[in-house]
Amino acid sequence: MNDPVLSARGLKKSFPSGDAVLEVLRGVDLDVSAGESVSIRGESGSGKSTLLNLLAGLDSPDSGTVAWDGSPDTGPGRRAAYLGMVFQSFYLVPELDALGNVLLARRILGGLDKSSRPRARELLGQVGLADRAHHLPSQLSGGERQRVALARSLMNGPRLIVADEPTGNLDERTGNGVVELLLGLCSSANAALILVTHNAAHAAKARRSLVLHAGVLGGG
Amino acid sequence: MPWYLHLALRQLFPTGRWFPFFTVISTLGVGLGVTLLVIVMGVMGGFSYEIRHMIVDTEGEVQVKARGWISDYPDVVKRVESVPGVAAATPYAVDHVMIKFGDKAEYPMLRGIDLDSVERVIPLDKYVRAGSLADLDDDSIILSQQLAAGLGAGVGDTIEVYSPLIIDKLGADEVFLPRQVRVVGILEIGHQQLDSSTVYGTLRLSQDLYGLGSTVHGLNVRLAPGVNEDDAAARINAILPKDIRAFSWQDSFSEFLWVLNLERNMIFFLLLFIVIVAAFSVMSSLLISVVRKTREIGLLGALGGKPVHVAACFCAQGLLIGVLGTAAGLAAGFTGLAFRNNVVLLITRITQREEVMRRYYQFSELPSHISGATVALIVVMTIVISTLAGLLPAWKAARLRPVEALRSE
Repeated sequence: MNDPVLSARGLKKSFPSGDAVLEVLRGVDLDVSAGESVSIRGESGSGKSTLLNLLAGLDSPDSGTVAWDGSPDTGPGRRAAYLGMVFQSFYLVPELDALGNVLLARRILGGLDKSSRPRARELLGQVGLADRAHHLPSQLSGGERQRVALARSLMNGPRLIVADEPTGNLDERTGNGVVELLLGLCSSANAALILVTHNAAHAAKARRSLVLHAGVLGGG
Repeated sequence: MPWYLHLALRQLFPTGRWFPFFTVISTLGVGLGVTLLVIVMGVMGGFSYEIRHMIVDTEGEVQVKARGWISDYPDVVKRVESVPGVAAATPYAVDHVMIKFGDKAEYPMLRGIDLDSVERVIPLDKYVRAGSLADLDDDSIILSQQLAAGLGAGVGDTIEVYSPLIIDKLGADEVFLPRQVRVVGILEIGHQQLDSSTVYGTLRLSQDLYGLGSTVHGLNVRLAPGVNEDDAAARINAILPKDIRAFSWQDSFSEFLWVLNLERNMIFFLLLFIVIVAAFSVMSSLLISVVRKTREIGLLGALGGKPVHVAACFCAQGLLIGVLGTAAGLAAGFTGLAFRNNVVLLITRITQREEVMRRYYQFSELPSHISGATVALIVVMTIVISTLAGLLPAWKAARLRPVEALRSE
């Protein structure tokens, strides 16, 4: 059997809270295979974003391991190629137009080549923004911004997409559209997806649904 | 182009904005500093260059001086002229005199020149504004312009010259009468000090007035083009007796040149503070930018950007502002230098101080000379300072952990 795209074992993470220590994650295990979609739900403050940061290599666990494709290397150099990220607040660079924001992921990976611009335009087309390629983020609606962020997350052909509350800043109808788009794009790109959400309906659309409760992941 | 340079450019020149306020203001600050540096260093360099040029023009590149007097000067001239690289040599005798015209008296230096050889070493003819050098003989003198104006004397007037020997003769109860000489020319070198205190006469006239007999005080030596002054002075010294020494003009005027350099360096150092202040303003703007863009910096890390590249993005902004400010400052500075005399003329006309300017300033026009080395120093210092201004913001940006930066409010 092939190594899972993502494998987490015994992840623990705590934060100081005044004189006490707040244990947010108490031993999380998770395997995600290629092309699989996994949703993680949980109450506010349950540690969903903390878990996602550990899985994405943005933070280090107190104990436990994270491996991508069997390798513990989750540093920035590998992250650019292996992982796509989508955030609640979109995080587009305001000085770059939609096309520039999508291309930024490829620039950080190592620079543009002949295929970069056509690929970025193709992705913008797939998220329905072909005619908005040269619009700045300030000229786009919230839903459009998130769709640019989706296109950016797929630019480097990642094996894994992590999406942290991607619909948190969108109305229900737009949010539904974004989740459908995200699942569709990941499926067509054969990229695994970890979707952190509050929304039970959105979570149910993933192949596997998990709940983070009391610092431990369980089946939904 | 690396992503951090691309992003630095985009942050300085965002798409669709023709007047990026931060970029324009920061560039202007640096540019103003460079403009001032170029103009002031150009004018200071101009003064220095003109003074050096005048020294060489009126003294030759090498001066030969004796401990007392040079007695057999024709032989010394001959020997000096035989040295490779020497184009010509001319003897001189120089000392203070008192000259009197009507009831006005002045105390200039009388420089005795050898009419047969002086033109091969000192191009006096080009400085004569009235009369003629050809009319100069043992009973006549040429006055410098401001001296003539002060005395109210002109070409054709007769003036009295009192020698320092009068004092010696008085001590011996002898009478030494002043010499009556005609003014046959007015000369303007363009340097206030020389134009207000120099008289040219024949070598014979000055020898008589100073009681030198057939001796002279020294020689002015003109070198062939491209010959190094120090090397030539060393070669001349090798063939001269020990009591007669040759000095390059830099050696002869070393203290004066040191003072000129000191003034120039001090001005450069002081004006550099303008660039440093501008760099602080760039730093402060970039620090604000780091705070404002904390989440974007987090995003760059999340997308795989390395901290060193995030730092390079902000450092590059300091560098680019430095380069742009330097380019703008050089353009404005050289334009200012090109029109400097128009500006000075306008100011003196408005204030009606043209004559005062001429009387008290060293030169009739504001000179300008800026060497390639000075321009290179200004460019390098400005760009280095601006880039350093980006270092602190860059360091702060690089220290931000993506996970914390993304969480920031």
